[in-house]
Amino acid sequence: MKNEELDYIIEESFRTEPDIRLPADFARKLTLSVTRREQWKTDVREYLYLTAVLISLLAVATLTYYLIDKDIVIRFFSFITQNAVTVVFIVFILNFILFADRVLLRLLFNRWKRAS
Amino acid sequence: MQHFNPDRCQTLSMNDAELVAQILNGNMKSFTFLVSRYQKLVVHITGRLIQRREELEDVSQEVFLKVYQNLGKYRNECKLSTWIATIAYNTSINYLRKFKKNDETGLDDKAILDKLTDFKQDDYETIDLHRYIREQIELLPVHYRTVLTLYHLEEFSYQEIEQITGMPEGTVKNYLFRAKALLKEKLQFVVNESSLKLVKEINNEK
Repeated sequence: MKNEELDYIIEESFRTEPDIRLPADFARKLTLSVTRREQWKTDVREYLYLTAVLISLLAVATLTYYLIDKDIVIRFFSFITQNAVTVVFIVFILNFILFADRVLLRLLFNRWKRAS
Repeated sequence: MQHFNPDRCQTLSMNDAELVAQILNGNMKSFTFLVSRYQKLVVHITGRLIQRREELEDVSQEVFLKVYQNLGKYRNECKLSTWIATIAYNTSINYLRKFKKNDETGLDDKAILDKLTDFKQDDYETIDLHRYIREQIELLPVHYRTVLTLYHLEEFSYQEIEQITGMPEGTVKNYLFRAKALLKEKLQFVVNESSLKLVKEINNEK
C-alpha cells in the first residue's frame, strides 16, 4: 500500500459517521417535554400574577381599614352582602371573560394558525 | 400513497433564520424540525466527547433545551449550526468536568500512542483498517476527538472550530495533524509489505 492510500483511508475513516444515533422519536418527545415545561412555567407565572393581584387588593382594604377610614371598608362589604345577586353575576361575567381569553381564544387561534 | 402535508412542505423549505423566527413565535412544529435537522450534529459531538451511550440521550436533550431557552439571544452573527455546536461542545465538556473525565489533556504523544491498541489482523483489508481507525479515534484524548469530529465529520472551518471550542486556529490545526500522524505511526507497517510479513509471522508464532 502506498503512503497516499493510507492517508486516504485515514481521512475516509475520519469522515465516516460513528455508529451512534438517538431514538427515532427523539425530536417529537423532546418537543412535548419542552412544551410541557413552558406551559408549566406560564401556569405558575399566571398563578403568581393572580395571587399578587389578590394580595394587593387585600392590602389596600387592610390599609384603608386601619389607616384611612374603617367605615369605607365596612360599607364596601355590606354593599357586597346586600347586592349578592349582582355581585355573583359580575363575578360570573368576569370568569367567562377569563375562560374565553385563556381557553377559547387560544383554541381558535391555534386552529386558525393550523388552517393558514 | 403519501398524503400531501402543507405544514411539512413549508417547514422543509425553511432556512435557519425563518426557522428561528417561527420558534420564537411559539411554533413548536418548527422546533421539532430544528431538532430533527441538527440532532445528528449534536449526537456526533456529544457522542464523541462523552462516549457513554446510556447518557447520550439525556445530554442531547439538555443541549436542545439550552438551544430553546437561549434562542432569543441568537443573533445571525454565526451559522445556527455553529451556535448549536458551541452549546453541544460546552455541555459535553461541562459533563466531563462534572464526572472528572477530562484528565487526558496533558498527555504527550508517547502516552497517547501507548493508549492506542495495535492492529492485530493477520491480513489487512481496507474495511478492517477503517474499523480499526474508527476504534482508535475513540481512544484519542478529548481535544483530538473534538477537532476530528468538527473538521472532518461536520465540515466546520478552522475559524468555526475556533468559535465553537475557543481553541486557537493553530492549536486546531496542530491537533488535526497530530491525530493523523499518531494513527499513521500505528499503521506505518501497512505501507511497507516486508513489515506486514513480519507482523504476520509474529502473529502466526503467537
